[in-house]
Amino acid sequence: MIGVLEVVAYVAAAAVALYGLFTTIRNRPPDRTHRIAVGVFEAVLVVQAVIAVVRVFTGVQLPEQSTFLIYLLVSVCVMPIALQFATAEPTRWGGTVIAVGAIGTGVAVWRLHDLWVAGHG
Amino acid sequence: MAEPERGRPPGREPRATSSGPGRVLIAVYAIFALSATARAAVQIATKFSEAPVAYLLSGLAGVVYILATIGLAGRSPGHRRLAWGAVAFELVGVLVIGTLTVLDTGDFPDDTVWSVYGRGYGFVPLVLPFIGLWWLRRTSAKG
Repeated sequence: MIGVLEVVAYVAAAAVALYGLFTTIRNRPPDRTHRIAVGVFEAVLVVQAVIAVVRVFTGVQLPEQSTFLIYLLVSVCVMPIALQFATAEPTRWGGTVIAVGAIGTGVAVWRLHDLWVAGHG
Repeated sequence: MAEPERGRPPGREPRATSSGPGRVLIAVYAIFALSATARAAVQIATKFSEAPVAYLLSGLAGVVYILATIGLAGRSPGHRRLAWGAVAFELVGVLVIGTLTVLDTGDFPDDTVWSVYGRGYGFVPLVLPFIGLWWLRRTSAKG
């Protein structure tokens, strides 16, 4: 979608997911590092979403615009909810909850890429 | 005299489905609830006439995932019954729709979350209800 930013988003998603799984294996509840990692990942997603929305409303034509905008919304909403849910019960499984959110968000970004490319042949 | 407490001896209490690894299961169900419902909403709103049956099935699948999420996240016996019902329905749904779409794709011009046993979603929709039923059984009082 937005070249470099998209790659950064995948890397961040993978890093957050792996760290979440790592702390589950090490039997540690989510801590400050998870919050920072999710915060950085979320910042990348928000920047990507803002740029994409601006482009869509300033002339970029997409064949499935409503689907694109809904996926964009989903891509920024999942991680804050996942982090909240993961830290509400501080057990080892919080890390895996964060990992599930990161993987789901990564798939949403991938879908965004397909929808974006469809509009640019 | 008042009815004796219906409580079971400690240790025989059903364990909350929303604790420990159950939270991971709820997270997966929530993501499927979100994506299936959002996808169906767009399909129904923008191109319903193209494949009404498939899009209504998409919507139904989304609602089933929402109910399963609510059921698993709650702590009352009613929530547990809701979770049993929704997850069992989900299992039947993915098996029936999966089989129908494998035998004849003609009636399903657009993929639903359950088409070809959830191939479009990495077959997670096929595995998820088995894990859900196992978790409900494992956390139940008799387990």
